[in-house]
Amino acid sequence: MKPIAARKRLILTPYAFLAPALLVTAAVILFPVVQTAWMSLFDYVLFRPRSIPFVGAGNFVRAFGDPVFWLSLWNSAIWIGAVVALQFALGLATALLLNQSFWWRGVARALVVVPWALPSVIIGLMWTWMYDFNLGVINDVLLRIGLIGEPIAWLARSDTTLPAVILALVWQGFPFFAVVILAGLQTVPAELLEAAEIDGATPFQRLRTVTLPCIMDVIATALLLRTIWVANSLDVILVMTGGGPGYATHTLPLYAFLKAYSSMEFGYGAALALILTALLLFVVFAYVRRAAGDLDK
Amino acid sequence: MIDRRSRLRRVLEIELPLILIIAFALAPYAWMVLTSIKPDADISTRPLQYLPSTVTLEHYGTLLNRTTFATNLLNSLVVALGAVAVGLGVSVPAAYAFSRFRFRGRRLLMTSFLVINMFPIVLLIIPLFVLMRALGLLDTFIGVIAGHSTFAIPFAIWMLTSYMNAIPRELDEASTLDGATLLQTIRLILVPLVMPGIVTTAIYIFVTSWNEYLFAMMLSGQNVRTVTVALQLFIGEFTVQWGLLTAGGTLVAIPVTILFLIVQKRLVGGLTAGAVK
Amino acid sequence: MERRTFIKLAGATALATSLARPAVAQQTTVRWWYHFDKPENTPDELIAAFEAANPDIKIEAESIPWGGGGDYYTRLFAAIVAGGAPDCAMVKLNNQAQLIEMGALEPIDAMVAGWDGRTDISDDIWNVNKSADGKQYYLPLQYVVLYLYYRPDLFEAAGVAPPTNFEEFLAAAKALTQGDVYGFGMRGGPGGHDNWGPFVLGGGASFEKGGMVSDAALAANRWYVGLGTEHKVIPPSAPTDGFRQIVDNFKSGRTAMAIHHVGSSNEMVEALGDKVSAVPVPRGPDGKGWTLFGDESNAVFSSSANKEAAFRWISFLSTGKNNVAFNRLTGQLPVVTSGAAEWTLHQARFVEASAASLPMAAVPPDSPLTADFVRTVWPTNMQQALLGQITPDAMMQAIEAHFHG
Repeated sequence: MKPIAARKRLILTPYAFLAPALLVTAAVILFPVVQTAWMSLFDYVLFRPRSIPFVGAGNFVRAFGDPVFWLSLWNSAIWIGAVVALQFALGLATALLLNQSFWWRGVARALVVVPWALPSVIIGLMWTWMYDFNLGVINDVLLRIGLIGEPIAWLARSDTTLPAVILALVWQGFPFFAVVILAGLQTVPAELLEAAEIDGATPFQRLRTVTLPCIMDVIATALLLRTIWVANSLDVILVMTGGGPGYATHTLPLYAFLKAYSSMEFGYGAALALILTALLLFVVFAYVRRAAGDLDK
Repeated sequence: MIDRRSRLRRVLEIELPLILIIAFALAPYAWMVLTSIKPDADISTRPLQYLPSTVTLEHYGTLLNRTTFATNLLNSLVVALGAVAVGLGVSVPAAYAFSRFRFRGRRLLMTSFLVINMFPIVLLIIPLFVLMRALGLLDTFIGVIAGHSTFAIPFAIWMLTSYMNAIPRELDEASTLDGATLLQTIRLILVPLVMPGIVTTAIYIFVTSWNEYLFAMMLSGQNVRTVTVALQLFIGEFTVQWGLLTAGGTLVAIPVTILFLIVQKRLVGGLTAGAVK
Repeated sequence: MERRTFIKLAGATALATSLARPAVAQQTTVRWWYHFDKPENTPDELIAAFEAANPDIKIEAESIPWGGGGDYYTRLFAAIVAGGAPDCAMVKLNNQAQLIEMGALEPIDAMVAGWDGRTDISDDIWNVNKSADGKQYYLPLQYVVLYLYYRPDLFEAAGVAPPTNFEEFLAAAKALTQGDVYGFGMRGGPGGHDNWGPFVLGGGASFEKGGMVSDAALAANRWYVGLGTEHKVIPPSAPTDGFRQIVDNFKSGRTAMAIHHVGSSNEMVEALGDKVSAVPVPRGPDGKGWTLFGDESNAVFSSSANKEAAFRWISFLSTGKNNVAFNRLTGQLPVVTSGAAEWTLHQARFVEASAASLPMAAVPPDSPLTADFVRTVWPTNMQQALLGQITPDAMMQAIEAHFHG
C-alpha cells in the first residue's frame, strides 16, 4: 500500500502532464471559439458593426430553411466519404509496400510525401491548370492516347467538377495515411508474423489476421482525425472552383466561409460552422463510445 | 523477416506497384518542375510544350535575387521547427497521461481537445487576430508558432496516445518493479519504443505548419512572412506569374522531403520483439 | 527567464528608449498598405523621393497578398475591427459602401480642395469615385477600362469587321466559331460580370429597383445566356473561366474575341504580335453602351492619427510624374491626364481603346451588397444558367432579390 502522499502525487500526475497542453490550447483557441459561437446567436454583419440584433436560434432556423445549406451538406457527405475512403485505401497499400525491404526504400518513402509537402494554394493552382480545358495536360494526354475525342471542361461541368476536386484531394492526402500507418506497422511483433508464416498463412491471411488487428487502434484514430480534417477543409476547393459551377462544389465549410467573408454575414456563417461541428461531434462520440472498451483497458 | 519470395516476384509484387504509386505522387510535381525551367513563352501555348525549348533558370534567379523568397523559406523553417518543439513538448506528456492513467474527466478532456479542431479555422481567424493584436503578438514568430502549434496539438495528442497504447503496459510495470522512477521509465523505456510514433507526429506538425496559409497570412506581416504567403503574392489581380510560382512551388517541397528522408530511418520495426518476455 | 522578470525588463526598456529619443522635430510615420501584381516591383524609389521632399514624414509600406481580393480585404477588415488599421491603403469601389457603413473612412473633400494636382485628373474619373452620400473618400490612383480584344487576322479571313453593336457581335461570333476556335471567350467565373455588363446592362437592365426584371433586361439576359446554350459560340469551359483562362484561351488562338483590359495587353502582344487589336465593347440598341471601369484608389482611414501626412503621401502618388512612375509598377493606366501623352508601357492601340471606352465606363452601384454580388451571387447564378440548371429569367430574379429583397 503506497503512502498517502505518494498516492496523492500519483493522482495529480496526469493532470500535471496535461497542464501545458491545456494552457496553450486554452490561451490561444478558447477565446476565439467561444466568441465565434457567441456570434452565431446574433445577426452580425461585419459592415454593420453598430447594429447587431440578438436572434437566438434565428440563424439556425434560417439554415434549415436554406436550400443551399442542404445542398452543401449533401456535397460535404459525398466529399468526406469519397476523399477519406480513397486516401485511406491508397495510403494503406502504400504503407504496406513501404514496409517491405528493398534497396531504394528510403528514397521511396521520402518521395511519397511530396504531395503532402505542398501548400494548398500550389496544389489548387497546379491541378486547375492540369484540368484546364485548353492548356491542361490531362486533356492533352487523354487526347493523345485516344481515350477521349475532344477536350473535356473538367471544372466547368457539374458532373465532373466534384470528382475532379476529389482526385486532387486524394493526391494531396494519401501520404498522411501512408506515413501514419507505416509508423503503426513498426509495432507489429515480428514473431507473430513469423509464427503465422510458419503455420502456412499466405501474405493476405497474415495481413488480415495479424497485421490489421495490431494496428486497428492507429487506423481508427487516423481515420477519425482525417475525417475531421477533410470535413473542415476548404483551401483547395476554394482555389480550384470557388464553390462552382453553380453550387456543385459547395461544401458546408465553404458555404460558411463565403457567407462570412463574401456576404460579411458573420453570425450566419458562425451558425453554419457550429452545425458542422455538432455533426462531427456525433462521429467523435460514436468513436469514443465504441473505443470506450479499449480506452478503459 | 525472411523474405523467401524470388527476386522477380518481389519486383512485381512490391517494387512495380510502388513505382506506379510514386509516379502518381510525383506527376503533378514533375509538371511543375518542368514549367519552372521553361521560358515564359513556352508556358501558355498550344499545342502543349512538354519539354522546355530551352532550359532556363531565370525564374529561380528572379525568385531568389529579386524577391524575399529565400528569407521566407527560412521564416517558414523557423516557424515549423518552433511548432514542432512546442507541439511535441506539450503533446508527449499529455498523451502519456491519456495512455497510462485512468482519471476523472479523461474521456471528456480527450474529446474536448478534438472539438477545437472541429471548428473551421477560417471562422476563427478574425477573433484570433483581435486576440493576437491585444497580446501584441502580431507579426512575431511567437504569434505564428502559437497559432500553428495550437491547431496541431489536439491531433498530435490523439495520434501519440494511440501509438503509446500499442506499447504494452506490462513493460512500464516491469520497469517500475526493477526500481525505476516514473521519469526514468518514460525516458529509457517508453520513448525509445514509441519513437516511430513521435517521429510521425513531429513530421505531421512540421508539414501542417509548413503548408499553413491562413494563420500565416493573418498573423504575420513583412517581418515574419512565411513561404506560403510569399507564393500567394505571385498570384495577382491581373496576372499569374507562372514561372515564379512554379519555381517557388518546386523549392517549397524540398525541405520537407529531405527532412523525411533523414527521419524515416527511425521508422523501423521489431523494437518490441521479445520485450515483454 | 521568469515571466515577471521579463515583463519588468520589457517595460524598463520601453521607458528607456522613449526617454532616449532626441527631442528633435517629431517624425510622423504613415502606414500604407498596397498590393502589386508583380512582387519584384517595389515602391521604394517613390518612397525615397517622397521622404526626401518631406523629411518630417516616414512611410511604412506593407504589401498584402491579394488572394483574389479575399485575403487583402479580410486583412483590412480584421485590422479595422481590431483597431490596427493602417493610415491609408489601396482600395476599390466595390467595398466603399461597406467601409463607409463601418465608419472606417475619412472624407477628404477639404484636403482635395486644397490640392493642386486635382485638376490633372479628369472629371469622369472623379465622378466615378464619389460615394453615394456625396462626399469624397477615395483618391483615384489608377484605372483600366474593359474593352474587346479581337483577332484582326481571323476577322479578315472570315470577312467580318469588328462589331459595334450586338447584332454584329453575334454575327461575328458565329462566323468565327469553326474547328476548335470559338467566337467569344466568355468569362463565367467570379469577376465575369464585366463580360455580362456590356450586353445586359448595356442592353437595358439596371441596378435600380425593378431594373433587373424589366422586359428589356430579361430579354437582354436571355440573349446573353443564349450565346452559350443556343448559339454555342463560347468554349465549354466558359462557366468557370476566370481572367487567367480567357487571356490564355485568346493568346493560344482558342477564341477570337475576349473582353479584358490593358493590363493584359503586353502579354497579348508578346504572344500574338500584330494579330491582336482592341475596340470598345459593342453598344446596345439605344447606342449608349456599358463597360466596367476597373478602379483602384487610395483612401485615408478615420482611425488614423496622421491624416494630413497620409493625404500628403497619397496625393503624391496621384500627382503627375509620380503617378506615371507608380503605374509603371502596377501595369495599369495613370489617372493623370498629363501622363497619358507620354505613356509608353502599353501599346498605343490599347490605350486608345481604353480612352475611347471612358464615356461608357461605369461601376456597379455603391451599395454594401455589391461585393457579395460580384463574388458569389452573379457567378453562381450565371453558371447555373449557362449549364441549363436554371432559366435566364430565374437568374435575373435572383439578382433583383439580392439587391431589393
